[in-house]
Amino acid sequence: MLSFRADHARARDAVLTKVSEEMIEETGLTSIQSRVTDQDEYLARPDLGRQISDETEARIRDECTLNPDVQILVCDGLSSTAVEKNVPNLLAMLVDGLEERGFEVGTPLFVKFGRVDVMDEIGKTLGATSVVNLIGERPGLHTAESLSAYLVYEPHPDKPTAKKSVISNIHVDGLPAVEAGAQIIDLVERMHDQRGSGIDLD
Amino acid sequence: MSQTTPPTLTSVGIDIGTTTTQVIVSELTVNRSGIGAVTVDIGETTVVYRGAIHETPLVDRHTLDTDAVRELVESELEAAGYSASAIDSGAVIVTGESSYKENAEELVNHIATHTGEFVVAAAGPELEAVLAGKGSGAAAWATKSHETVLNVDVGGGTTNMCLFSGDDVVETRCLDVGGRLLRFDETGQVTHISEPAERLIEIRGLDIAVGTRPTDTERRRLATAMTELLFDTIEGPPLSSVTDSFTIGSSEYTGKTVDTVVFSGGVGRLISKREETNDESEFAFGDFGVILAAAIRQEIDRRSLRVRHPDEDIRATVVGVGTQTTSFSGATTHIDESLLPLRNLPVVEGSTITADHDYATIVSELQGCFEQGCELYELDETSPFVLSLPSISPLDYGRIKALARALGDVYEQYFTSECPRIVLTRQNCGKALGQQLHSASNANTPLVVVDEVVASDGDYLDIGEALGSGQTVPVVVKSLAFGS
Repeated sequence: MLSFRADHARARDAVLTKVSEEMIEETGLTSIQSRVTDQDEYLARPDLGRQISDETEARIRDECTLNPDVQILVCDGLSSTAVEKNVPNLLAMLVDGLEERGFEVGTPLFVKFGRVDVMDEIGKTLGATSVVNLIGERPGLHTAESLSAYLVYEPHPDKPTAKKSVISNIHVDGLPAVEAGAQIIDLVERMHDQRGSGIDLD
Repeated sequence: MSQTTPPTLTSVGIDIGTTTTQVIVSELTVNRSGIGAVTVDIGETTVVYRGAIHETPLVDRHTLDTDAVRELVESELEAAGYSASAIDSGAVIVTGESSYKENAEELVNHIATHTGEFVVAAAGPELEAVLAGKGSGAAAWATKSHETVLNVDVGGGTTNMCLFSGDDVVETRCLDVGGRLLRFDETGQVTHISEPAERLIEIRGLDIAVGTRPTDTERRRLATAMTELLFDTIEGPPLSSVTDSFTIGSSEYTGKTVDTVVFSGGVGRLISKREETNDESEFAFGDFGVILAAAIRQEIDRRSLRVRHPDEDIRATVVGVGTQTTSFSGATTHIDESLLPLRNLPVVEGSTITADHDYATIVSELQGCFEQGCELYELDETSPFVLSLPSISPLDYGRIKALARALGDVYEQYFTSECPRIVLTRQNCGKALGQQLHSASNANTPLVVVDEVVASDGDYLDIGEALGSGQTVPVVVKSLAFGS
């Protein structure tokens, strides 16, 4: 029972605390926000977490690299802890590794109150060929530090979820962040080779 | 996920020395532990059959008579009551002339057709030094007591020293000093003098020659001269130029203070037994061993050196090999598939990479490992071997990158670009390290990075062809088992 309460407390912390400004700054992420305005709305209105406002659209069109091969997003999702623990390592590895293989990587964005599918709208707005979304997983009873990477080729809001690829369980006792980075790089390459993601991949 | 390993393995150890060959059959218990990276330990070793000591059959000084050795092995197995098919694994260890090695591999192909996993190990002076220290219990004592223990194996032709500190082999030092450098008949007449002894006699201006009966004083002066070389080496630099000229290979001397010394080997046994010697027994073995042992003992007493008795005074004999058909590697590896399968690769263990290691410290650690590995296994710049990295902590991008860059550079320093880089990691980071190592290496350099497998110094590894989508490979870790 005590262990359950401890897990529950960790889960609450992970869900309710925010990703720190320092981390966003140190990792060189450009910060934007979904249509959600506060934590309660984030939990109550998942639909708003998948959208960005017209102003935000205009802003990213203005500030970000357009038509990149790969657009990387980081969302706090349901675990800010997961983002804090894994993203600094993963992001650096990912950007270096993708560029080394000749991909043009877009301006990495941090999406406050972002849900998984926000990647479709942002990817379409920026004209990205593929999008990688690193998002904190719903905390479980084992760890609150687990991150997932969702990947999509040719993002579009109408694309079914089955066409997304996912690498999950990224945390220190699961798939270490650096190894996840290496897997994502290989997966992006496969997606671009085969021009698809999710169920479209061999 | 993994194939099961029988709880007990029947293993043969074939020990081919310069002069003698022996076959030993033993039952080994293999313990496995760990989730993910499986660690293999040889539990109990029971020698069930110890064959007679045969003279090593040779065609000439450099070539084994493989047919004769095979017959010898077959007849010994028969005598032991085992058929070839009942043997799960085995090890052939060749000491002395390293040029037997190629020959010995051919031998194994003969023997191993109907048996399990075999390992051929050619032991140069450095590996002999390590084996001696394992056999005498010096290694175990260093682990247990956390002391720095120097094993001094004084044999017939050479003295091989190995410094153990905690779990690590620190260095080896080899010297042309031994009990059989001079031979006598029972009357004390010199029948043979080997080159190093001849040289020492000349340097010291002693009156000892073949066909003569040197006086007690002359013999003692020679023994003292040898003892001085020995202690000069034990103490480390600065070495006298004479000691230097009797040093074999590139002996190493770190600044570590030796806590305890263990004397093993034929002469070592005479030192520890502290028998009273008199003129009759001096020539009991027809050599210089008794006299040399007495001189060494005297020097030990004079210096009040901390000496620990060896558990076994003869060389650690290989009794077989425990094999572990491991679970497959982790699902994420980085592999040039054209290299597979790879067999019987010696394992060189790297050091743990911790948070305070930067590029420069990793480079110097790796250089140390590579140099030790090259000497132990007599690797040249094209020999493939496995570098096993025990732990990288913390597992972050900067560290992986620094490690890969250091690996790339150090490999390039010691090995040709065509020589495959084969790296094992304990943690799940094979793909990450592989990608980084690929960037840090020549584009044509073949790479195999396998994760979640643990192997240690002295193990041998087989890596099979990739399975499934080419991401996992079967790995067999073979650990030599030593008995006494």
